[in-house]
Amino acid sequence: MMKNILLLALNDLAIAYKNKTFFLILFIPLFVFVSLSLVDGNNTPASTIKIGLIQDDAYTPEFINSIKASSELVVVTWVRNEQDGIRLLKEHQIDGMLIANSDASGRLTLQVVKKDAFHTIAIVQSFSALQKTAQGTSPDWIANISSLNQGGVQRETLPTWILMLVLLIGFIILPAQVAEEKEKRLLLALLQTPIHEVQWLIAKLILGMVLIITAVLLLHLLGKFGPVHLFDYIVLILVGSYCFSAYGICLGFLCRNQASARTLGVIFYLPHLLPSAMSDVSQKLTAIAPFLPSFQLYEPLQSILLEDGRMADMAFDWIYLFLLGTLMFYFSYRLMKRRWLM
Amino acid sequence: MQLEIRNLTKRYDQKRGLTPTSFDVHKGELIAIVGHNGAGKSTLLKMLANWIVPDGGTVVMEGVDFKNRAAVVREIGFIPEVPNLFDFFSVEYNLRLFAALSRAPLSRVEDILGEFNLLPFRKSKVQALSKGLMQRVNIGRALLADPPLLILDEPTSGLDFEMTREIYRLLNVMHEAGKTIIFTSHRPEEIRNLATRILVLHEGTLVFDGPPQEYFQSEIHERLYAS
Repeated sequence: MMKNILLLALNDLAIAYKNKTFFLILFIPLFVFVSLSLVDGNNTPASTIKIGLIQDDAYTPEFINSIKASSELVVVTWVRNEQDGIRLLKEHQIDGMLIANSDASGRLTLQVVKKDAFHTIAIVQSFSALQKTAQGTSPDWIANISSLNQGGVQRETLPTWILMLVLLIGFIILPAQVAEEKEKRLLLALLQTPIHEVQWLIAKLILGMVLIITAVLLLHLLGKFGPVHLFDYIVLILVGSYCFSAYGICLGFLCRNQASARTLGVIFYLPHLLPSAMSDVSQKLTAIAPFLPSFQLYEPLQSILLEDGRMADMAFDWIYLFLLGTLMFYFSYRLMKRRWLM
Repeated sequence: MQLEIRNLTKRYDQKRGLTPTSFDVHKGELIAIVGHNGAGKSTLLKMLANWIVPDGGTVVMEGVDFKNRAAVVREIGFIPEVPNLFDFFSVEYNLRLFAALSRAPLSRVEDILGEFNLLPFRKSKVQALSKGLMQRVNIGRALLADPPLLILDEPTSGLDFEMTREIYRLLNVMHEAGKTIIFTSHRPEEIRNLATRILVLHEGTLVFDGPPQEYFQSEIHERLYAS
């Protein structure tokens, strides 16, 4: 009996090796280790804070002197008024804007894009330290934090959930479906009919896009959230779903069976999801994330959903997504023509 | 002449695949391709069916190169050894889907269901069928567009005696209807009863091409089944 169990267990391990499950086992801890090492630790050097101050506001002399004395830590941009500062905030030219309260108490309101971003934490920490050094008192310069992103945690996390859905369908569901059709020779059966390879690819793209749009729509309906610029948002979701559906189909073509496709899907899913979704909480990840296509979807999502941004201001992002999707579509076509791993 | 095959080649490694192979197929022939496992039989059929891209050579069907897949695909019905149907859907769904994609009239579905005694199973899911029934659906699917050339890869593999006889009957009916048929087989009685011509492949090379009488009296047959 033990011999049989051992044989079966060895056979299962051999299958896990053949369908690349072992790669997953090696990859996930490795990826988590790399991600954790990228998240800012205690010894991360302080980065320069770009702060906006309003020209006509009455800031206390101690405050101004402290900022002048710490020019390596704080870079000041003087703005004409609040609207001007908000514009710079939306364009990410400044990390925050300090507005003097009208009661002349010397206390300030910090205006930021997002309350729980690492920039906000860095501003509060830096100004608390400055005040303690300058006055030796407990920090109270920043009395209030105001966020451009309104709607609470539910709304602020929406871009992350949407990104997760798009990547889940693109990297996990679609590759497995493509690989299943290859594994069961269904794709070859379909190619015994007069359909063109491109028709099959477009059908798969439509499937991916419909799944993504349905999931996103459902999320909005359940959460009762809607973007201000609906047309811009629809265009972004269409381009994003096109890009990641094409990406997923291409991954499916690189695999012989469903098990391999699932493994490869996870290997692509995590590195695309985590750096983008965590870019708000780590300087290092913020630096890495723009190199990932998922960030080109995540950033416009944040901008449109939370900051009332417009597609016109994100031309690079959606052109990047469209071109990447088209490139993946072309790769899939070439692999299909070569009957790759069929 | 229906099919001209010239220097068709596919190499997987030193031993497996097909060395440059040339032969013609005439209308109405029923050709059996025989050989040991790994001799290149399935590779040859899959190249004819456009499942595998050849490394070299040409296949021309009545003047049309097989590289122009769209132009020839309705002229060929390929039946693989393992049925490749959407097994979570019904028999009728599968036939209707492929009829629509093959631009065959939907009335062909009813014809096929009747001809292949599949009417009682039309609503059955393919995954619930026996292998013999699945193979019948598979052959029926290949005939939806009424192609003049049928290619079958070991059509009776894994079937019981009754189902094997049924497949023989269907092959004979199709042959009498004027279709050209190419099939692979390991069974001498199948080759003897059905084929009008035999091709023997050995380690990817065509070593015999002739009528069954000649083949069964040849040393090649002796060697093939003695080893």
